[in-house]
Amino acid sequence: MAQPILKRIASGEKRAVQECITAYGGLVWSLALRMLPNSEEAEDAVQEIFIEVWKNAERFDEEQASETTFIAMIARRRLIDRLRKENRKPNIDSLEDILAEPENNEQDVQLCIEAKEAAQAMKNLRPEQRQVLHLSIVLGYSHQEISDALDMPLGTVKTHARRGLIQVREDLGLGDQENGKEVTA
Amino acid sequence: MNEKEERMLELLSDQAIFDLNKEELMELEQLKNQFPDWKSYATFELTAAAIGMTDLKMIQMPEKLRAKILDNANNYFSPEVVISEPETKKSFSSLPTETVGSSFAETEKRPFWQWFGWGVAFAACALLAINLWTTRVQPQPEIAKDTKIIQTPTPELNAFQKRDQFIATTSDIIRTKLESPKGTKEISGDVVWSNSQQKGYVTFRGMPVNNPASETYQLWVFDEMQNDKYPINGGVFDVSENGEIVVPIDTELKIQKPKMFAVTEEKPGGVVVSDREKLVAIAKI
Repeated sequence: MAQPILKRIASGEKRAVQECITAYGGLVWSLALRMLPNSEEAEDAVQEIFIEVWKNAERFDEEQASETTFIAMIARRRLIDRLRKENRKPNIDSLEDILAEPENNEQDVQLCIEAKEAAQAMKNLRPEQRQVLHLSIVLGYSHQEISDALDMPLGTVKTHARRGLIQVREDLGLGDQENGKEVTA
Repeated sequence: MNEKEERMLELLSDQAIFDLNKEELMELEQLKNQFPDWKSYATFELTAAAIGMTDLKMIQMPEKLRAKILDNANNYFSPEVVISEPETKKSFSSLPTETVGSSFAETEKRPFWQWFGWGVAFAACALLAINLWTTRVQPQPEIAKDTKIIQTPTPELNAFQKRDQFIATTSDIIRTKLESPKGTKEISGDVVWSNSQQKGYVTFRGMPVNNPASETYQLWVFDEMQNDKYPINGGVFDVSENGEIVVPIDTELKIQKPKMFAVTEEKPGGVVVSDREKLVAIAKI
């Protein structure tokens, strides 16, 4: 079985860097375009994200998650940092988009097993949990923005988000199920 | 689970979804100290990342940006190579690269070895200056009359890179999804085509490996201005390994208004008119 690209980067194989950009460039670029207001910002962010990927390559644990999810995690954290630092709004066209049910573009959810399973797990959530998670994680809204948009108390937003996340984590097999269940009960 | 442990779980999930304020961050740090095995809970960020990929429309990264990232990577991993020996860079980056002027690149902290690289570059410049003085400024016994400009060979791009470059630099791209006919092996991918350039690429995923001795794949372009019985030949190709492949569309005739791309399985070398018995994939516009 081939060694993961990130492991090869961590061990100093320069060719793996190029492979990494080819394999995950589209993913990072797509995430940046979705969350940031314009392509100029997205370009800057994508460059930052890849530097973070090089720095954190050795932290990748293939037994915990796929490379795709690991890189998406780094990308998401960086993108949120950028949004928060400048107190900017995520890239959303209208409130109708925000409140609409998440789209179901099966053909685009071909990134990795976790993404597919996460999409399925989201469908199993209660509608309000799904909505809050979609707004926060997919679209990058803060809890205050969600509270305002949905006219929902801040504490309720957090509760829906936590319970939804714990449920998805369980469904993905990423967490300690027993611990998660105690909190969601 | 006790109350403190539960609170830690709450803060970890909040951190993954939203942000924590300073007080919450301090609280979380204290709780982490009390629960050394807190890392067993630390998969919320990964969960959030997986959710973050749902409904994501994949968009190809522009070639220019890719080149910048490669340049950044060169600087990050081995700045001395970039500065003093551009030839070596090719093994790392097969693409033409350009100078990065982003604020990010400028604000990166440079460790000692990066500064060392600059030092080496400075020394190289000094040696070059001495060399120029002794060989060009000093009187020379003979002036070369028949000098040749030796150009650095341009690195050859692979099909994926050519397609990416084509997409990034072409304004009238037509893009359509590739599908396999019902009841056949599932093949996916897409077709990109430019009428102005009369050029395009087909990306296949799941295309079966063929035996070139007995069969080949052939691309066809259906043009609205052409009788459907006689689609335009887009070239033949073979598939030697599984996974994603990119095939350039190579037409001999001008395509005026493409309405469909198709792939058939034919005898080696291809055919002039296909009986379309073995239709492998189609992409309708």
